[in-house]
Amino acid sequence: MLTIKLAFRNLFRNTRRTILTVMLIALSLTALIAVDGVMRGMLTLLVDNVTGTLSGDAQVHRVGYRENLDVDLFMENSGSIEQTLQQDTSLRSFSPRVISGAMISSTYNVAAGILYGIDAEREQANSKVKAAVMRGEYLSGGDNELLIGHSLADLLETDLGDRIVLTLSEATTGELAQALFRISGILDFGVRELDDNFVFINIASARKTLAMTDQQTHEFVLTFLNPEDAENPEHGIFQQFNNTEIEALSWLDLNKEISFIIELMAYSSLMIGAVLFLLASLGVINSIFMSIYERIYEFGVIKAIGTRPSEIVRLILWEALLLALISCVIGMLLGFAVGSWTATNGLGGLGEIEFSGITLGNNILGEFHISQFTTFPFFAVLLTLAAALYPARFAAKIVPSEALQRSL
Amino acid sequence: MTAVISTFEVCRYFGDDQETMVKAVDRVSIEIERGEFTAIVGPSGSGKTTLLHLLGGLDNPTSGSVELSGANIADMSGATLSDFRRDHIGFIFQAYNLIPVFSAEENIEYIMLLQGVDASERKRRVADMLQQIGLEGLGNRRPNKLSGGQQQRVAIARAMVSHPQIILADEPTANLDSKNGIALLDLMKELNQQSKMTFVFSTHDEKIMSRASRLIHMHDGEIELDELR
Repeated sequence: MLTIKLAFRNLFRNTRRTILTVMLIALSLTALIAVDGVMRGMLTLLVDNVTGTLSGDAQVHRVGYRENLDVDLFMENSGSIEQTLQQDTSLRSFSPRVISGAMISSTYNVAAGILYGIDAEREQANSKVKAAVMRGEYLSGGDNELLIGHSLADLLETDLGDRIVLTLSEATTGELAQALFRISGILDFGVRELDDNFVFINIASARKTLAMTDQQTHEFVLTFLNPEDAENPEHGIFQQFNNTEIEALSWLDLNKEISFIIELMAYSSLMIGAVLFLLASLGVINSIFMSIYERIYEFGVIKAIGTRPSEIVRLILWEALLLALISCVIGMLLGFAVGSWTATNGLGGLGEIEFSGITLGNNILGEFHISQFTTFPFFAVLLTLAAALYPARFAAKIVPSEALQRSL
Repeated sequence: MTAVISTFEVCRYFGDDQETMVKAVDRVSIEIERGEFTAIVGPSGSGKTTLLHLLGGLDNPTSGSVELSGANIADMSGATLSDFRRDHIGFIFQAYNLIPVFSAEENIEYIMLLQGVDASERKRRVADMLQQIGLEGLGNRRPNKLSGGQQQRVAIARAMVSHPQIILADEPTANLDSKNGIALLDLMKELNQQSKMTFVFSTHDEKIMSRASRLIHMHDGEIELDELR
């Protein structure tokens, strides 16, 4: 107890230096909490955009379909798959889709694109197609309705009500087929790939055009009650649909580049944390060395009267621990304040940020996570203690006879 | 009488080059008996402090031996030497003896904490020591609230409270005026007579050295004269 008391009082011998060191550690922790909060917010926004826009939390396909989007690689018996999916209580919703490459022609221009046949009602719970309608109406189930990305519409020089001819291969025969549609809605997803290339029609029309039966489906898009289930490869859905015929893929499998970016962001946080704490550690080492040099005669005296080298190390580590704890409390309070502000107000005014082809809106809201107030302070304490080891060893090795000859 | 501490041909040289080597202590052999009140005297640079450091295990001799109660301090190092100093030797230095952030009581208590003495015994011994050095009621004052003489009294209490076999004091009165210096020496003498604890101190002050029962005169690292009084 006397050692802790000594360590605590030693901290406040030079109050100004202690305050500066405390602020160095505390502000590093605050910065890390704030940066991590923004990164998490950005990640949530990114994942929400990826999963919520079109791909869902997971998808079920015929094995090999994703490689080339071959129109003839459809699931034959989609009714039984639907039954299985309906029985899974972890799913919030799912919806069938028919997909094909298509030549999209207007009176003025022609472009290659992707046709999605969707169940207008059920699709609403699994994607943002309805929410992306910027002008016109969403699909109501009519035969000739078509939704088109706004940049594709611009390319084709078309607008609401204009005619669009889709030319594609029938799924079963490979024969060319054509169908006429009228633009019922213009879409703006904020995702360049979708706005440039995609058209959506009712699934019944799509099946009819592609000469598919109502049991034939290219894709089921799934939304979990708990989105984190999609990141668990052991989840029942991924186990159940994992055979030579059918496969279930999570959004991480479907968007390799995004999962790479997520990993990269995690490393970025780690690197920022490492750099911040490395700098803080150097400050701690400097501060503790200063305090040891100021007390070198005193260390000589306490070693002379019988304080063991290990007890000197313990004393310095106690000083570092108390310094770190005080810093962490202040850092967490400041971190909470800054985090609360970014969580409420966000990083507005940055304009729309395009990230990997996805537009992230114009306001990224910070997010709190328990690790910001447990793991980060833990590492702050650990690194402060590690930083204190070097000066502590130096103090432990002080030779009393030499220290006592220092000028009084 | 048995020797509490003895040295045999102890040397402490600084520097490796023969031409520039400083022989701070050169072939000194002494025996100090239990209960002695001995002063090591001599001019500055005569080797008084170095000899005290060797006697207290604060420095290692270049050659020779230093034995305290039969144990050769020169052979010890690290934690063993620290423990030995803690349990067998009390130190008083010229000044800044005390831990400034501790009160007088805590300064006296600290060494007993290192020894593992239990809290109630520590409190009892601290109270006894404060009474013996005449600082009752001032125990909770920090060193900067005590006079130089009072601080040195606390240093004496800290040196004695662990019940060492010998107390080594390196010019304990150097930073005190002559009146306080003599008063401090008188207190040390009184405690020496009461407790039969061995005191060895260095000084170059004639008034102070007159209190000693034995004077070891040093010059250029060697003992010039060893006189009993």
